[in-house]
Amino acid sequence: MTRPTSLRFPISACLPAPRHAVVVTAFTLLLSVPLQRLSGSPYLEVFGHVGCVGAILLVACSAAVALRPRWLGPGLARLAAIVLAAPVAVLLTFLIAERGNVVAFLRQPQSQTAYVAMVVMALLFGVPFSLMAMRSERRQRERADRLQIELEKNRLERELLDVRLRMLHAQIEPHFLFNTLANIEALVASGSANAAPVLRHLIAYLRAAMPRLNDADATLETELQLVRSYLELMRLRMPDRLRFAVATPPAAAALRFPAMALLTLVENAVRHGIDPSVDGGEIDVGGHCDPHTGAMTLWVSDTGVGMAETALPGTGLANLRSRLHAFYGTAARVDLHDVAPHGVRVELHFQAKETA
Amino acid sequence: MRQVKALIADDEPLLRERLRAHLAVLWPELALTDDARNGAEALELVAAHRPDIVFLDIRMPGMNGIDTARALARSTHLVFVTAYEQYALQAFEQGAVDYLVKPIDRVRLADTVTRLQRQLPASAHDPAALAATLDGLAARLGHHAAPPARWLQWIKASVGNSVRLIPVEQVHFLRAEEKYTRVVWDEGEALIRKTIRELADQLDPERFVQTHRAVIVNLACVREVVRGMNETADVHLRHGGEILPVSRSYLHHFRQM
Repeated sequence: MTRPTSLRFPISACLPAPRHAVVVTAFTLLLSVPLQRLSGSPYLEVFGHVGCVGAILLVACSAAVALRPRWLGPGLARLAAIVLAAPVAVLLTFLIAERGNVVAFLRQPQSQTAYVAMVVMALLFGVPFSLMAMRSERRQRERADRLQIELEKNRLERELLDVRLRMLHAQIEPHFLFNTLANIEALVASGSANAAPVLRHLIAYLRAAMPRLNDADATLETELQLVRSYLELMRLRMPDRLRFAVATPPAAAALRFPAMALLTLVENAVRHGIDPSVDGGEIDVGGHCDPHTGAMTLWVSDTGVGMAETALPGTGLANLRSRLHAFYGTAARVDLHDVAPHGVRVELHFQAKETA
Repeated sequence: MRQVKALIADDEPLLRERLRAHLAVLWPELALTDDARNGAEALELVAAHRPDIVFLDIRMPGMNGIDTARALARSTHLVFVTAYEQYALQAFEQGAVDYLVKPIDRVRLADTVTRLQRQLPASAHDPAALAATLDGLAARLGHHAAPPARWLQWIKASVGNSVRLIPVEQVHFLRAEEKYTRVVWDEGEALIRKTIRELADQLDPERFVQTHRAVIVNLACVREVVRGMNETADVHLRHGGEILPVSRSYLHHFRQM
């Protein structure tokens, strides 16, 4: 199992990153050249001192970042480590060079000067290095964030394409179609005057549910008509179990709306809410637009069997969310609510935009 | 000869009436009992009237046609009625049980009536063949339906004066706060009554881990886990600045990564 996390542990985390080690080694090798000129000591001896101080400071920095207390940022931890570790690092270096005989060594005045000079130099070069590390860290994080945003954008585009492709396939469920046709056949056979209007509802539903390339001409009004046709057909089939009300909010005719978006919710309400219930229930479809802010709320509410907390969400809701985002921007929302004593209410929230 | 009795069970009234009308023409001597609108009603009416034949719709609310058939007395002849079950129809191939497809074709129904009239004085289906057909039917219909979910998919939370159903994938983390549990998700936060202990058992462990006695976090929302002192750690989330604790006993969730 993969987890999108990483845990830094003291042992491995106290060791510096290879990249940092290379930079410090290269720098101390270079720095030893002018210092060898100044001091007149052999190059290897000078590099031994400078390299040792550099290595100790590097390890101190890495350990400080790994073990820092919660309130301290990595940049500050590194800076503090340099300032505190520099005198100790130089002392340690002398300790190693003089094989423990450091007290005698430090008694000599020129050694004291050398010690102070080394500490000053360690601070002089160590502090800018820690600041550089901080900057590169920040850049890395920015790059990671940018990548994350890019990935998210790609995902949204892919999802939308998926939805579009699925819209190209027929949406009509055969079970629904044949059951409805069986009902119409019964109406025709009995000479019912209801046969013609019901057939018109079926035609309206089929026309809307046919594969389509885009929903450029779809408005909220056409969507609500489609929803009404579908509900009329379902009421014909379960007259004792389904009641419904569809209210058209003002300005619905001018509001562009992704086709089949509300229908999907109404079909879900029938299939998962009303149909499994022996007593049936009521479906309420409506909308409200805030005249000042233009904030639009649409809802599909049912008093069916309700939804179990373990009910797997179908792809319908995710598709609906993608399409609303594509249509009205990413501030658009799909909210689900529990209806007491049983039932589900789905709300769509978005900023209304009129047809141009 | 004793009069043959039949029952029609279907949740759609027009289709019940249509089948009644067809049978009145094709088999005038057949006595039809009251119709059943669902499986439970069908069982009651069968107990009351003891029909010889039951026309049974497969999809009905409450108890479906298959479960109703299992509960019926073995002496009853079954005829399943269905609109369109692409997969389910294969279950009838052995011919153990008759079936009709809606809208009902009168020629097809006439065949069924003839067959029933020929068989009727004899006992009904071979029990083993019937059981096999019902199992096949249930499997094919079940195959189409979603499998029962083991894990919590929605969290019910009171927000304002309504109860929100929050999809678990939108939840960032859950944290115990005195008597309640605070749930933080994409669109805000709310208090729920379920305890962290209950939630830890109900949420999918592939997606949610408990990091502390009082905290469960959605792994997809974790940016990084930073090791602290004394075998503890901090979880930094992708959204928002909240930092959650990992206590010693839960640290093993993040080892070897």
